[in-house]
Amino acid sequence: MGLIDQAYDLVETEVNNVKENVKDVLDQADYDFSGAIYDSILTTKVGKVIGWAQKNALWPATFGLACCAIEMMAMANSRWDAARFGAEVFRASPRQADLMIVSGRVSQKMAPVLKTIFDQMPEPKWVISMGACASCGGIFNNYAIVQGVDRVVPVDVYVPGCPPGPEALLYGIIKLQEKIMHEAGTKQAAKRVA
Amino acid sequence: MTVTEQGLLEREKDSMTLNMGPQHPSTHGVFRVVLEMDGELVDSAEPHIGFLHTGIEKTSEAKRYVHVIPMTDRLDYLSPPGNNLAFCLTVEKLLQTDVPERANYLRVIMCELARMASHLVWLATHALDIGAMTVFLYCWREREMILDLNEEISGVRMMTSYIRLGGVAQDSTPGWLQSVRKFVEYFPAKIDEYERLLTHNPIWLDRTQNVGVMSREEAINWSMSGPVLRASGVNWDLRKQRPYSGYENFEFEVPTEKNGDIYDRYLVRVAELRQSREIVKQALKKLPSGPYKVDDNKISLPNRKTLKSSMEALIHHFKLVSEGVSVPKGETYVPVEGPRGEVGFYIVSDGSNVPSRVKLRAPSFMAIPGMCKMMEGCFIADVVGIIGSIDIVMGEVDR
Amino acid sequence: MTSEEIIEKVKTDQGEGIASSEVNLGDSVLFVSKEAIHGVAEYLKNDPDLDFDYLSNITGADYLNEDREPRFEVVYELHSIEKNHSIRIRVGLDEEDPTIPTVSDLWKGAFYPERELFDMFGFNVEGHPNLSRLIMPEEWEGNPLRKDYPLTIEDVTFSHNREFKQDLVKSKPPTR
Repeated sequence: MGLIDQAYDLVETEVNNVKENVKDVLDQADYDFSGAIYDSILTTKVGKVIGWAQKNALWPATFGLACCAIEMMAMANSRWDAARFGAEVFRASPRQADLMIVSGRVSQKMAPVLKTIFDQMPEPKWVISMGACASCGGIFNNYAIVQGVDRVVPVDVYVPGCPPGPEALLYGIIKLQEKIMHEAGTKQAAKRVA
Repeated sequence: MTVTEQGLLEREKDSMTLNMGPQHPSTHGVFRVVLEMDGELVDSAEPHIGFLHTGIEKTSEAKRYVHVIPMTDRLDYLSPPGNNLAFCLTVEKLLQTDVPERANYLRVIMCELARMASHLVWLATHALDIGAMTVFLYCWREREMILDLNEEISGVRMMTSYIRLGGVAQDSTPGWLQSVRKFVEYFPAKIDEYERLLTHNPIWLDRTQNVGVMSREEAINWSMSGPVLRASGVNWDLRKQRPYSGYENFEFEVPTEKNGDIYDRYLVRVAELRQSREIVKQALKKLPSGPYKVDDNKISLPNRKTLKSSMEALIHHFKLVSEGVSVPKGETYVPVEGPRGEVGFYIVSDGSNVPSRVKLRAPSFMAIPGMCKMMEGCFIADVVGIIGSIDIVMGEVDR
Repeated sequence: MTSEEIIEKVKTDQGEGIASSEVNLGDSVLFVSKEAIHGVAEYLKNDPDLDFDYLSNITGADYLNEDREPRFEVVYELHSIEKNHSIRIRVGLDEEDPTIPTVSDLWKGAFYPERELFDMFGFNVEGHPNLSRLIMPEEWEGNPLRKDYPLTIEDVTFSHNREFKQDLVKSKPPTR
């Protein structure tokens, strides 16, 4: 009995030690970084301006694969004008684009090409996975289709539909713009630019 | 490449290899062409396909017949009712049933509207590739009207799945017929607008005349079909030669041209826009009343109102929804005239409710070797024009 | 010419090459052996009354589930532009030796369908100038359209009755 009591006391003293130490370390860090408050306000404000500029001028790379590409073209046309959201110029070269809208089903043969194009885009870059086939494989659960493009590239916004109407894709772009503004000035936005 | 005596690498041919890769704004989908070029002239073009392979044919062997219909929508995704019609006609031939007259007329209206929508996309993207961007914006304006008609009758803009086994999915309403009538009145002025922009435009003529020529014998031997075949002088339109779904009741012309270059294919397709509009106008005038799907409850669902009173209807409904149509054993092939050419399904059935083999005869797939033969000896800028004029859709090439 | 007349003419002219023939749902169908297919195809193309100058389709089919010999079949669909008639030719292929001579010297439109037969079924088409994978990636192993090739490589990821589905997937026959 005595041994168990002794062990219990030992553990208690150790835990109390750790708690005391942590408190000390936190106080020290508070003191060290108190002057950094001014820095962080400035970076946040500038970050917000940069985020506003980025979201209003998202240039998509033409990555139309299948049926969803037709609805993407419809979004770029006069009825659902994507130009009023800044996404007017669809750049053919991925080096000049910052948004990749994966529209359509990605087959096994196309997946390496998709990764290459994504790698060629300069940072910061975003990916919208448009349609059911790009998001999860869609109605094709078989040997030939990659079950979701997020197995190949990191995706920011998923737009469901088969094919999603142009208004749904436009809503996806608006959500992406909200995401950019939400992340702007924070560490997550800094992580996008390697 | 060989190595000379001095140890230097030497090429046999002094040609440049240019890759028009799967991601390209002008290849109309994921199509890869490897061009061997002598300066700016193309020596040979080697196509690579398969970047959109979806395994639809193998997936169809695991789905019931009615579940295959939405997958056929996604094959030639610019004219989904055409694929639906080809599949349904083939299965109905195996089932040996007839389709009521009203269903035939509604099928014809949907197919011709889809043909117009597909030709509008062709005109928009083809003109955009060659440089005329205005036509892109104009054509989509009319296509949006056709998609609105689609949405009104079937609920979906593009992949309607409206044509089902034994008839159509739902009856048309007087409001929808009125909308189609309004569109048919409005459309010819717009076709004139596109022609005003392009047909006598010297830049268009310069870029499209005498480019990508295919003679009559070559077109037949290379298995081209549709507008490409008709532009080379062959009067072959399956709506006239093998009439299906009531096309013998309509009066329309089949436009043909003689030279077989890009300009002739453009003229043929624009003329087909006008003829499709004629067919829809006649169909609206002559639309008979009656049932919109076949009466046989083993093939099409019974009327919902009878489900409350008739036990047989309930059992048939249950059987059709859970198990599906059982098709007698056999195999057959029915070709249909799609916007790109001869679309057909070869279906082998083993007597159960799941098909044993479904094969799509895709006009774009058969056209690709001929297209690459056309590219030999022309400039790099003409390659884009040729791909646009054949109007390939990778969904049906790769399946 | 109607389907019956076509069959009569072909049987009288090419009797030894043709195993059997029938008129199936209005279409004329010939059953030919793989040794005779090239001769029959050449006759069909060059004969002035038949004049089958348009090759519409070449398909393959796998009859593993029906347990019949021969297991595979190659189906040719021919049209005649001038005379407006069609014919279908079915050639049976054995499981051990699925080879068939090419018809691409007669119709150039046969290049791609025969390459697809090689890719998706594994048939060896003799005499084809460029027999390589067309639709699947080049290093892919297996012939997807055969019945013993599985449809899905992986299980359904998200499902409410996941345990039930696991048993179902395991007990299902390969392609259904």
